[in-house]
Amino acid sequence: MTHDVIVLGAGPAGANAALAAAEAGLKVVLFEQQPAAGGQVWRAPLPGLRMPSSPEKDSGDALRARLAASAVEIRFGRTVWSVGQHFRVDAVGPGGNEHAEAPRLIAATGAHERVVPFPGWTLPGVIGLAAATVLLKSHGALPGTRVVVAGCGPLLAVVAAGILKAGGTVAAIADLAGPGDWLKALPALASQPRLLMRGAAWALKIGGARIPVHFRHGVRAADGGEAIEQVRLAPVDAAGGFSAGPEITLAADALCVGHGLVPGAEIPRLFRTAQTFDRRRGGFIPRLDACGRTSLNGLYACGDGVGIRGALVAEAAGRLAGLASAHDAGALSADAFAAAAGQARARIAQARAFSDAMAEMMALRPAQVAAIPPETVVCRCEDVTRADIEAAHADGARDLNQLKQFTRCGMGPCQGRFCGDVAGELLAAKVGSREAVGAFTARPPLRPVPLADLMGAFDYADIPIPAPAPL
Amino acid sequence: MTQPDQRPTVTITVDGAALRAREGEMLTTALARHGLLRLRRSPNAGTPRGAFCHMGVCQECALHVDGAIRQACLTPVSAGMAVERRGVL
Amino acid sequence: MIHDLAVIGGGVHGSTVALFAARGGMKVTLIERGPLCREASGVNAGTLTLQMTRVALIPYALRAHAMWASAREWLGHDVGVVVCDGLSLAFTEQEEELLSFRAGKRREAGAPISLVSGAEARRIEPGVSDTVRLAGYCKVDGFANAYLTGLAFRRALIDAGVALQENTPASGIVREDGGFAVQTSNGVVRARRIVLAGGVWIEPMLAWLGIALPIKTLINQLVVTERVRPVMRTVVGIANGLLSLKQYPHGTVVIGGGWQGIGDRERGGVELLPDRVIGNVRLACHAIPDLKAARVARAWAGLEAETADALPAAGPIPGIPDAYVCGSVHSGYTSGPYIARLLAERILGHETDLPLFPIDRLLGTATPSEARHD
Repeated sequence: MTHDVIVLGAGPAGANAALAAAEAGLKVVLFEQQPAAGGQVWRAPLPGLRMPSSPEKDSGDALRARLAASAVEIRFGRTVWSVGQHFRVDAVGPGGNEHAEAPRLIAATGAHERVVPFPGWTLPGVIGLAAATVLLKSHGALPGTRVVVAGCGPLLAVVAAGILKAGGTVAAIADLAGPGDWLKALPALASQPRLLMRGAAWALKIGGARIPVHFRHGVRAADGGEAIEQVRLAPVDAAGGFSAGPEITLAADALCVGHGLVPGAEIPRLFRTAQTFDRRRGGFIPRLDACGRTSLNGLYACGDGVGIRGALVAEAAGRLAGLASAHDAGALSADAFAAAAGQARARIAQARAFSDAMAEMMALRPAQVAAIPPETVVCRCEDVTRADIEAAHADGARDLNQLKQFTRCGMGPCQGRFCGDVAGELLAAKVGSREAVGAFTARPPLRPVPLADLMGAFDYADIPIPAPAPL
Repeated sequence: MTQPDQRPTVTITVDGAALRAREGEMLTTALARHGLLRLRRSPNAGTPRGAFCHMGVCQECALHVDGAIRQACLTPVSAGMAVERRGVL
Repeated sequence: MIHDLAVIGGGVHGSTVALFAARGGMKVTLIERGPLCREASGVNAGTLTLQMTRVALIPYALRAHAMWASAREWLGHDVGVVVCDGLSLAFTEQEEELLSFRAGKRREAGAPISLVSGAEARRIEPGVSDTVRLAGYCKVDGFANAYLTGLAFRRALIDAGVALQENTPASGIVREDGGFAVQTSNGVVRARRIVLAGGVWIEPMLAWLGIALPIKTLINQLVVTERVRPVMRTVVGIANGLLSLKQYPHGTVVIGGGWQGIGDRERGGVELLPDRVIGNVRLACHAIPDLKAARVARAWAGLEAETADALPAAGPIPGIPDAYVCGSVHSGYTSGPYIARLLAERILGHETDLPLFPIDRLLGTATPSEARHD
C-alpha cells in the first residue's frame, strides 16, 4: 500500500475529504484532472490569467490555500482511468501511467450537465450552462457575442450575470420555471441568506441590464448551418412540455442551455455497490450510510457525484467521508469522530432545505423528454435518434445495456454520460420504470485515455506476454 | 475580459494554417477567437460539432494535436502545436 | 403444452440449435436468464480467424466461417460480418519458429495459411510495423460485430417460431415420463428433449442431472478505441495467439487476445488488471504503430468457457436419452454456429457431415463414441 486513503476529485467534496483525513494523520493522495482544486463551482482561473474577485473565486482560493498548506499529496493534471479492488488507482499524467494503492478510497468525482435534446442542440455554439461557467470563471472567455441563456435552475442567473459582468451581451433568458416556482422556493432559499443575497445580486444585474426573461419558456430549436445562428423559444407548461403560444425567434451566436445535473456515480457503479434511482437527486445514486460509506467496505463517496445537493452540502459531506475514513483506519477515536461528524452533519441539515429546493428546480421533467422530436439526436457520440431508440424497443430492447448493443447508444467516447439519463427516460416510458431499464454498466477507462499516454516508452521484449494459447 | 492578458502570444498551426494564440489558454478558446467553432463532424450524419461541456466530459472537442487525439477543452496552447480538426473519424 | 425441444442458454450455440431445430419442424422454446447473447456471445472480440483456432477445430471453423460470411442468407439478419485477410505476426526468431510450427499444423488441418516475409506482410497490410520478420497469411479471416449477435438471432428466432423466454432463469431440470420439466422463474416448462447450452454455466446445468463436468472460466480482457481514421484493413494477431486486432468499418479498433482479468462464473468479468491492459495495448501498438493516435473508449472482461482438454462439449449427455449439451468451444464464437447446427441435425435425426464432440471423454467413463480428438 502506498497510502492510507486515495481521494478522487478535488472539488468541494473531495478536497474537504482529503483535508479531514490528512488532519487526522492519514497519508492521503488526491487525484484531480484539472490543474487546480475547486471543482466546477469554485474553479480556478487558468495559470497566467487574473480574474476579478467573486465570492466563488474567494471560496476556491481559500480551499486551494488550505490544501497547499496541508499534508495532502496532490496530483493535478491526472486522468484516472482504472480503479481496482483493494483500491489500486491508475492514472495517466505528465509522467505517463502511475498508480497508488490504499485500503480506502473516497470517490468525489462530481456531476456532469444534463441537456434534454432539442433540434439543433448539436450545433457548434450551443454549450451547457455549466460549460459557460467554466469559460467565465476559468478561461476568461465569453460563450459568444450575443448569447441566449436557457434551461432551468440557479445556473441560469449565474451564467447571465457572469456574461454581463464580463462585458458580454445576453439576448434573452428562457426559464422552464415560472415566477411562481421561484416564489415557492423562496422560503427554502432564505434559509441560506448569503446565497439568497448572491442570487439577488445576479437578478439585479440581469434586471439592470434590461435582459428579457421569458419564464415558462423552453428551447424549441437552435438553427444554423456550420454553427448556431438563431434560437427559437416556445412556451412550456408546468410539467416542461410545450404549450400553445407564439414562438420567439432570437438571433444568437451562442446558446447556453442546461437542465440540471447528473451525478457521475461511475466509481460506485464500477464496484457494483447498492444503488437507487432518485429523480430529485439527478438519477441513479449509490446507497450510503450517514457518513458516506458505500455498501463496499473501504469505499466512500461524497459530493454531487452521489446526488445533486450543491457545494454547501458537498463540503460537509466530504469532510464527513474524510473523517469516517480516518475513524475506520483507527486514526480517530470514537469520541473525536462523533464530535467532528456531528458538526458536519449539522451543517448538512442546515443546508438541506436550500439544496432540496435547488435540486427540485433542476430535476428532469418527463414531459420535456416526451416532447423530443423523433428525428432529434439523443446520443451525440453515435448519432442515435429518439426514433432509433424507440425502434430498438420495438425490436425487443428492454434495458439500457441492451439498447446500447442494438443501437450503439452510449457506446461512444463520452461513455453514455450525455445520453444515459434521457435514453433511460425514453426507454422507461415504454418499459415502465427507470429501475427496470437500469443504467449503462460502468466500464474502465473512467475517461477515454490516449493509448500513447497509457503505453509510454517500452521495449517489445519487456511486454509480459502470457503463455501461448493451446494449439 | 476585465484584466489585461499577460500571457505571451505564440503561433500554432490549425489544419496547416498559422494562427496566433496565447500560451496557456485553452485550445477551445484560441480556436473560437478565430471563428473556428466546428472541431469535427459526427460519425454517421456528418453534422458539425464543437465544444459542448468545456469540462472534459462530452468529447465533442476531441481533435488531433501533434498526431494524437486530445480534448481541446483540456489542452492548453503551447508554441508550435500542430492541430488538425477531425472529419467524421 | 409440451415442446419438442427446450434449449437452455441463449448464446450463439443455444440460439443456433434452436433456430435449426425449429426450421427442421420442431416446436422449440429457448430459455435464457437474461437477454439473448449478452454474455460471451455478445461481448467477445468477434474475430473469425483460423489462426487462433485449435487445430482439431479447423474443419469446423472453416465451415462456420462460411456460415458467418453468409449470415444474411441463413440467419436473415446482419451481424456486421467483414471477410478480410488475416495475418499472424512474428517479431523475434523464437516467434518465427513458433509461427512456422503452428501455421504448419493448422495448414495440415485444412486452414489455407501460408508464411510470408515481413515485406510481403507490409504489402498485404500497410499498417503493420516494419519490425515484422515473418507472418502467417490466411485469406479466410474476418470478424463480426459481436454486440449485434443478440439482435440478429432474436429476429431470426422469432421469425422461425421459437418460443423465446428471455430474462427467465432456469433453476433445475426433472426427468419425467416423455421428457423433462425445466423449472424457471416463469414456472415449469415441459419438453421432450433438452439442450444445455449455457457456456460457462454448463457445469451447474449438468449438475442438475447429476453429472459432474468441470468447466473452466476464462476472463478475457478486451479494449476498444474510439472511432479513428483507418489504421489497418486486416485481422492481425501474433504467433502465440495473445493478440487479436482489427478495425471495424465504423472506425473503432478492438484489441483482444485473451489477457486474463478478474472474475468468475458467479460474478462475471469483475475487473481488468491495469498492467495487463497496458501490456495488451503495447503489443497492439507494436503491431500497428499508427494506433497510438487513438484513445481507449472502453474496456471490459468477458467470460469464455473451456473444458479440461479445451475441446467442445457438444453431443448427447451419456445415460440420459434425449438430453444434449452444446458449448464450451474454444474460440466458440468463430466455430459455434457450425457445431451447434451439427447438433441440431443430430437431434432432427439426420446424419452429420462432421462428428460431434461427446462429453464421455471428459467424464472418465467411456471412449468417445463419435470421434477421437488428440
